[in-house]
Amino acid sequence: MNNEEKSDSLQEKDIPPTVVEPEVKSVSVKKLQSFLGERPLPAIEMAPRIVRYQSRRDFLVFGAGALAALAGAGFLLPQETLSRIGIHGNMDSPEKEWFLNKALRIDDDVAEALYSANRSVPIYAKSQITPLKNNYNGATPDPGYIPGWKLTLDGLASGLSISFDIRNLLTRFSVHDQITRLVCVEGWSAIAWWAGLRLDDLLRAYPPMSQAKWARVESSVNLDASGSPDPYFMSLDLATARHPQTLLATHFNGQPLSVDHGAPLRLLVPVKLGLKNVKAITKIAYVAEEPRDYWAERGYSRYDGI
Amino acid sequence: MIQSTPPDCEPNSASTLPEQPGVLVVRKHHFLVRLSHWLNAPILLGLILSGISIYWASPIYQHKPDPTTGNTDVAADLGIWICAHVPGLRHYSSPLDWIYNHVSLGPGMLALALRLHWLCAYLFMLNGIVYVAGLAMGGGWRSLLPRRTDLLDALRMVRYYFGFPFAKLARRQWLHPVFNTKYNALQRAAYFSVPVAGLLSVATGWSIHKPMQLHWLAAVFGGYNAARVWHFWLIWVYILFVVPHVILVFADGWDTLRSMIVGWSTRAGRLKGVANEQ
Repeated sequence: MNNEEKSDSLQEKDIPPTVVEPEVKSVSVKKLQSFLGERPLPAIEMAPRIVRYQSRRDFLVFGAGALAALAGAGFLLPQETLSRIGIHGNMDSPEKEWFLNKALRIDDDVAEALYSANRSVPIYAKSQITPLKNNYNGATPDPGYIPGWKLTLDGLASGLSISFDIRNLLTRFSVHDQITRLVCVEGWSAIAWWAGLRLDDLLRAYPPMSQAKWARVESSVNLDASGSPDPYFMSLDLATARHPQTLLATHFNGQPLSVDHGAPLRLLVPVKLGLKNVKAITKIAYVAEEPRDYWAERGYSRYDGI
Repeated sequence: MIQSTPPDCEPNSASTLPEQPGVLVVRKHHFLVRLSHWLNAPILLGLILSGISIYWASPIYQHKPDPTTGNTDVAADLGIWICAHVPGLRHYSSPLDWIYNHVSLGPGMLALALRLHWLCAYLFMLNGIVYVAGLAMGGGWRSLLPRRTDLLDALRMVRYYFGFPFAKLARRQWLHPVFNTKYNALQRAAYFSVPVAGLLSVATGWSIHKPMQLHWLAAVFGGYNAARVWHFWLIWVYILFVVPHVILVFADGWDTLRSMIVGWSTRAGRLKGVANEQ
């Protein structure tokens, strides 16, 4: 056969006649060549009837698939996109939301499976620090809230509700610092030097009730774009809360946090997207069921593990 | 001559009919290869359109804010330029959004675009597995492997394509280089690089989706920011592939297009090894 001839001729070209190759090697080279080499496509004689029947079947399947793809696009695409290409009827449906959320939960489950309590995020050098913009959702609050600020803990094993001011926290817990990357869901990121207490230390000193699996982290000082109160709330699984690099940050680049960055205390959870890094936290409540999440209610992921 | 019909041909009453001359066909593409080939079209389109909607939220290419518009996005500048210079677009309502209105799902829909992007990304990975399975089961992978002679053969094909229009104009004969393989060297290079690009898109995608848990993967591409740039520019591999791919399949003719739907070709003589069988 043609193929055999070709590999034989290659063999002759590759090995000069003066070199005596051990026979075993030349056999293995030949084997590899015939394994990798292109095989002749076998020609089959078929009855025209059968060829026609198979073609018709395959074209019908192909056409049905193409129609299904179009229907799928109409079902899944956002209303704005469909309007722009001239489809004006309302295509939004609860099924679409359900389906997209289902797909999002699969991705969240993958993220949760990837998470490891023992894996640390990369630590950077001071020379690698980059500017961090104030990406406050809505307007930046007036600093008037700072003197009366308190952090309240709820859902504790003791059944009590405990409040701290910033001096309490800084005197009771040791301060750790780290230079880590903050990654925003929008795609930008910034490397910053943070310092604060470990949330894990707080969890050990004030353990949550035994059935708690989640923390609801809130900021009551957040404002919307027009400056009206818009409390921010976020769900955090306790496994992530206990990660050694999860801080309640009090300092940013060596200075106490400014209002822009969530004075006097913000959550720094580098294994999550920036939107879980709540600024100016006022309350942490430990709960058994997954709590509501500000951005999950606006179509984003709930878990946000990165 | 092979007279037997393959076992998967359902109607087998040919024996009762008067003998008709048979059609000589060559099996070209495995069913799973054909399936994943066509699924790639809507999935990649969904990935690119939603991907550019995600890009809108934080463009890679930015400059200092424009003193009049405050714009920082190079893609928005391009939209302004297009609306100013293309006749008929002078009165376009939002030149800043022209690019996003035409090559993405649209601006200002990050949450929706992310959900669609993840959905299409998982489908794309599953489809890649189906494609590889089809290549392995049909043995088609052997036709895609690069050869030592490919560079020279690819240049012969480039010369053919460039000379083709001039030869047509001069009404001269312009012969297609002869290869006794399933694909010519240029095709092989294209069909080999696109799956590699797919693999790189998936790898860069994971490295920017999970830059902390998979930080080693981001490091392979030069860090989180560099991986975003890679992920963006890989779009162009698909675009640069698809445009000549579609033009050439129509230029090559019905048999080639049909073979990706039905799996077989009647150009038995053009395919390697056939002459020996007869």
